[in-house]
Amino acid sequence: MTTALIPLPIAIPLIVAAFLAFAGKGIGRRACDLLAIATAAANLWMTAIILHGTWSQPQVYWFGNWWPRSGGVALGISFVVDTFGAALALLVAVLTLAGLIFSWKIFEDTENHFQPLMLIFMAAMCGFSYTGDLFNLFVFFELMSVSAFALCGLKTLEPAPLQGAFNFAIVNTVGAFMIVMGIGMLYARTGALNFAQVGRSLGTHADALVLLAFLLIVVGYLAKAAIVPFHFWLADAHAVAPSPVCVLFSGVMVELGIYAVARIYWTIFAGSLAGHAHELRMIFTIMASITAVVGAVMCYAEHHLKRLLAFSTIAHSGLMLVGVGLLSPGALAGFVLYVLSHGVIKGGLFLCAGIVLHRFQKIGEDHLHGCGRGMWYTAALFILGAWGLAGAPPFATLLGEHFVSHSAEAVHLHWLVYIFIFAEVLTSAAVLRMAFRIFFGWGQPAPSDKSSQIEEKPETEQSHERTPAAMFLPAAALILLGIVLTFLPQIQSRAIDSAHGFANQNAYAQSVLENVQITSAHNAETENLSSSIVHSVIALLLAVLLALSTVFRDKLGRAVNFTRSLELGSSWLRRAHSGHPGDYVAWMSFGTAIVGLAFLWWLH
Amino acid sequence: MMLAYLPYAVAAWVFLWGLYGIVTSKNLVHQVVCVAILQTSTYVLLLAIGYKVGGTAPVFADIPVGTSVVDPLVQALMLTDIVVEAAVMALLLSMVVKANELAGTVDPEELRFLMG
Repeated sequence: MTTALIPLPIAIPLIVAAFLAFAGKGIGRRACDLLAIATAAANLWMTAIILHGTWSQPQVYWFGNWWPRSGGVALGISFVVDTFGAALALLVAVLTLAGLIFSWKIFEDTENHFQPLMLIFMAAMCGFSYTGDLFNLFVFFELMSVSAFALCGLKTLEPAPLQGAFNFAIVNTVGAFMIVMGIGMLYARTGALNFAQVGRSLGTHADALVLLAFLLIVVGYLAKAAIVPFHFWLADAHAVAPSPVCVLFSGVMVELGIYAVARIYWTIFAGSLAGHAHELRMIFTIMASITAVVGAVMCYAEHHLKRLLAFSTIAHSGLMLVGVGLLSPGALAGFVLYVLSHGVIKGGLFLCAGIVLHRFQKIGEDHLHGCGRGMWYTAALFILGAWGLAGAPPFATLLGEHFVSHSAEAVHLHWLVYIFIFAEVLTSAAVLRMAFRIFFGWGQPAPSDKSSQIEEKPETEQSHERTPAAMFLPAAALILLGIVLTFLPQIQSRAIDSAHGFANQNAYAQSVLENVQITSAHNAETENLSSSIVHSVIALLLAVLLALSTVFRDKLGRAVNFTRSLELGSSWLRRAHSGHPGDYVAWMSFGTAIVGLAFLWWLH
Repeated sequence: MMLAYLPYAVAAWVFLWGLYGIVTSKNLVHQVVCVAILQTSTYVLLLAIGYKVGGTAPVFADIPVGTSVVDPLVQALMLTDIVVEAAVMALLLSMVVKANELAGTVDPEELRFLMG
């Protein structure tokens, strides 16, 4: 029954989107909103049922019944839904629903096709999580990118969103071409596009062509995932996109890039690159650590609310790549828990930023100083969000961090724990610092930088005296979901079980090609979280101390002067984020060359 | 024999020139066209992969069984690629038009509101 349901979360939103684009003007703004919200709610319901159907085994849906006959090869196109993909699609539906409800009060006209674009975006991301076919993955990737470019540049009356959307589009399109080339090479070698079939045809064979294809595909998806040095577009795009769109960008789109790398590695390359797992692990964790450090340092140096959150996403994207890059099932379980919890928390924080923009029509921390006095509920959400970013209990980010750092210790990469603490302290402290200044008016106003001076036109036109419930409730619900996740029954054992299934190339291929289910029971023991709880509580305390010493720098004297340089950031790092699409593509070529050289050096 | 590798070399060549164009471009329209050039390298690559010496068009209705044909699948991939990228190009060019209207410039150097 659930198998027949699988194409619907993609088909229904696309049909509704086409209807809204065609008839949106005729039926009026409110009807558009209601229809879009109803579609997102239906998707939430369907993706939840599909997720429930994947507990025991992955569900395979062959389009047009083109399933591989016995002993044959896969010619048809399939959706292969396992617990990971299904959970990500559910996250997509949750965040889209929150974003659409939030947008009830913004974008007064239907001219800009906001609702249809959101629905297409949602459908593309669900398809991306479900598909079991290389070229299909590319098509959904592009569908998701094109709707994202349009959503990013939605405020076409200001130049900054155009610049952000343009940079976003150029970098991601170059990445997409690399993916096509990589897919073409894999097809040339194996004559197949189905993940399972390609993986089986490659077997344990690895040569220069396979490595080059792997390099091109990985770089293309890591550009989407905003891994340094492919990350430059993200801050520009997130700073200017409408707040409900940022929720989807930061909450799940970026993470899907990392998910694609994990999916492709474990279904296609795990056999052929098995002999090089150690070297590959080093390459991935080094890239991830650089991303986490650069993202965290830039995050603390920003004073444009959304840009600050964007850099925090880059830092956390690095942490998530650690989960995938360790190439072990335990770390993968941590990755998926981290993606889910970070997605809802970051989504909630972007909605809070949207509330601040709605109330004060300003987005720079320096201009907003003390403005938010009396907005206790929003302030509480900001502080809870910072708490979650630090990975402190009771937020589910703790579980993700625990599984990842546990696996890092198993392969003797103990230093990764410090990368986690570093990134969590800085990103959490940056949000806390902002909350202290905006909502409590503590200390001196923040220093300003070029980005915080951007004039952002308000997204709303009505009275700004109070926060509408349609804005506050989705934000609160998302952040509280970050806590609820921790207490879902069996969430840890489900994550571990599904990670073992995800990382078993043979079992995946057999379930797709022969419809044989291999049930592997992993009696996940109850994890001892105490060491991770200690780490994360220390991280939270450090974050609070750092935020307080930044805000009260003038009173605390010379001892905390280092916070000034932290807040001003490194000038050469800032200059590298030049806002010029040519520079970004140059960095991307440079990064590809470096990763390619590392492959040559270590893997060939 | 060496000739068989020529299309791959051409694909790599066009790809790199496309990248060079995007990086050094001083005009947004020019930059978008460079993206289109970069894209043509993927066409060359896909065509080279599907081509078969002496193969005919894969229309099976009126050719005898066993005739050598070129790979029909890469053509489908290429067509999808063209359609998808046409949408991207249209979107990029419309952004350039808007940028020219709002900021009065198409130089990426002058269109930098977000940085650092």
